[in-house]
Amino acid sequence: MLNTRKRRSLALASVISSLALVLSGCSSSSDSGSASGDDAWFASAAEKLECKGKTIKGVTENTPPGQYVKSDIIPAFEKATGMKVDLETTSWDEMYSKAINDMEAKTGIYDFVYIEQDIIYQYLKNDYLANISKEIANNPDLKAPSFDFAKFTSFINDFKNADGDVFGIPMEAFVKVYLYRTDLFNDPANKEAFKAKYKRDLVPATNYKEYQDIADFFTAYGKDKELWGTTVQAVTGHPASFYELFESILPTNGVYNWGISKNFKASAAAGGSMNSKAAKDAFAFWVGLLKDAPPESKQSTWTEVGTTFAAGRAAQGWVYGENVAWIATDAAKSKVVGKVGVALPPLGNPQVLADSKSGAGYLGYYDGGAFGVPASSKNITCSVLFQQYQGQESVQAKWAAAGSRIVMDSTYNDPIVQAQDEKTNGYYTFMKDQGSLFRGAPAFPFHTSVREVVAPFIYDAIAGKISTSDALDKAAKAADAEMKKLGY
Amino acid sequence: MKKSNTNRLGWILLSPSLFILGVAGLAPFFYVIYVGTHSWNIFSKERGKVFVGVQNYRDLVFDSAFLGTLSRTLFFSFLVVSIELILGFMLALSLMKDFRGKTFFRTVYVLPVVVAPIAVGATWRLMMAQGHGPVPFFLNKFFGWEFNTGASTTQAWIAIVLMDVWHWTPFVTLTLLAGLLAIPREPIEAASVDGANTFQMYRFLIIPMLLPVILITVFIRVMDSLRSMEDVYMLTNGGPGSSTTFVGLHIFRTVFAKQEYGYGSSMSLLVLYFTIVICWLLFNALTGKESKKK
Repeated sequence: MLNTRKRRSLALASVISSLALVLSGCSSSSDSGSASGDDAWFASAAEKLECKGKTIKGVTENTPPGQYVKSDIIPAFEKATGMKVDLETTSWDEMYSKAINDMEAKTGIYDFVYIEQDIIYQYLKNDYLANISKEIANNPDLKAPSFDFAKFTSFINDFKNADGDVFGIPMEAFVKVYLYRTDLFNDPANKEAFKAKYKRDLVPATNYKEYQDIADFFTAYGKDKELWGTTVQAVTGHPASFYELFESILPTNGVYNWGISKNFKASAAAGGSMNSKAAKDAFAFWVGLLKDAPPESKQSTWTEVGTTFAAGRAAQGWVYGENVAWIATDAAKSKVVGKVGVALPPLGNPQVLADSKSGAGYLGYYDGGAFGVPASSKNITCSVLFQQYQGQESVQAKWAAAGSRIVMDSTYNDPIVQAQDEKTNGYYTFMKDQGSLFRGAPAFPFHTSVREVVAPFIYDAIAGKISTSDALDKAAKAADAEMKKLGY
Repeated sequence: MKKSNTNRLGWILLSPSLFILGVAGLAPFFYVIYVGTHSWNIFSKERGKVFVGVQNYRDLVFDSAFLGTLSRTLFFSFLVVSIELILGFMLALSLMKDFRGKTFFRTVYVLPVVVAPIAVGATWRLMMAQGHGPVPFFLNKFFGWEFNTGASTTQAWIAIVLMDVWHWTPFVTLTLLAGLLAIPREPIEAASVDGANTFQMYRFLIIPMLLPVILITVFIRVMDSLRSMEDVYMLTNGGPGSSTTFVGLHIFRTVFAKQEYGYGSSMSLLVLYFTIVICWLLFNALTGKESKKK
């Protein structure tokens, strides 16, 4: 038997928990309405197209932009249309594996899939995707008045075929920036100590030497403070390290397109540059940074690099833009709120900046993706309806603030984004002004296959089993063999 | 006539099981054999399956990455099965005796067996992760050791061996315990009366009588450890470098990351062949001596 005091306590606790449940319900329902669009039109279109009551299924990567789709856009769309959207947010490799296997086997499990810019060329070659332009053009009832292809940035061109038809509606785009700790860089004592040691000001690095010096300086400074000089996305056994090397580091030393030539050769002897001196120097520089990186670096993908930076464990690093907003503003997750700045990555070769401005090269990675509709989907029309909903101009600003991604020029001018821009020390302005200096992955139809044969050599070099020079020699040879095997 | 009717009834009763076995077991197996004779990479210039006969198998013989993962897997299998067998036997013997809290201990002890390997890997990864894992933290705090499974090959191996031993020793203990409980008491009592010491009893009585159970346990564990994939994938992702990339993970990456269905299928079949050969060798090694005596 419970005594009276215990019963009262229990009753009070149950009342409080019920209230909490009601309040959380209210808050989530109000959140779900935060993505706004032309709901009346979508409601009537869903009726007319017989999509109401139907369920469409999608898969995307579990990133801040992907989470926003799930938590805000989908509930609003479901409320407006009476449709159900079942979106799986999963790890990057799992997402690809699920999507590709579904599309290859034509099982029709997914009605929309995340397509990263780097893999679209493989998908188009294999006829995996429905032609969204044609779906809309052929069905007047499907054309949403609030949706317009022309409103997207030029990033949408990456999702077009040779005829200009669109196969993916951009849902995220960002650059991988050089992120640094403004509090550490602006600290007078640090400035003085740095200048005394290196005879120059402590400002964001513009070249490898400066970057290395800053990394060394802060590693020494942070010895007893759980702080290191740089992040390095150097996980072995996961392609994240391959990507940081080939898409962020090698370009800064003038090695573009993974060092693969237009006639699909990787070895320097055959006309490629994967194992050129510039590539080897850049690789050695990057692996050398590991001594100034937190111990978790060899287990860090892009996600862990973000969390390492947010935990205040690194003074600088290459960080995916999708993480910048929460690192800079979300006090619940980040210890460095208001303490981050963005800059152009340091260059190994000053010519790269001129190349990037002229379009002959690029100095970093412009990442992004779109939602595409598999040709094997059994609900193509209903899925295209949803793609137009998430592609409305009116839903972009809050999404941009939450996931630091921008796919429309008009989003930059939205007050929500401008306020967030201030909090992130100008990340959005940086992306708008400098975004053209960055570029996505090369248009290879064999992206995954070459990555998978090259990556093990990169892992072994990171692990110290082989030298960086040997690794690139072997990688180039393996890449050439793989491309030949694939018929290129 | 009567016999024929009984046969027919037997087949009728068996048919649902045979149907399920055919659809769920044999059909995929023959499909893997079929795919293994094709070059099928969805990203190659020429799409679809191209018949290549035994070329995939020829390539495998010279594939240093595959052979490396295979030898690594064999070593891992030998290591963990040996440790689990010795530990499991000792624990089974201790569970034969009565002690306070035995039931509770036995229940808690076997819990890891029912946990899915992927969950085991995730849990161990959280424990071993740099930055927030308790294992590196306390090892560093109390002993000044830097424990980093992402950087040190030896430490990564220690971690995966410990994880496998923790996960599967209870299974070995349970099967050996069942075997020990089934051994008749009379020969042991007779040997004891005849003056046999403890070592002689184990050497000439208990272990020979337990041999069928040991064999089955070893077979199951060898087959399981050769297929190790999910927990290692979670804990080390095959790293550092490729030092803990076992053949299961290598096949997974070939099929799901590279989308090389044909080559991956041939790898699977070759590993199956190796597993059968290893089990056959083990069987002969463990029973051959006894057979000769007979």
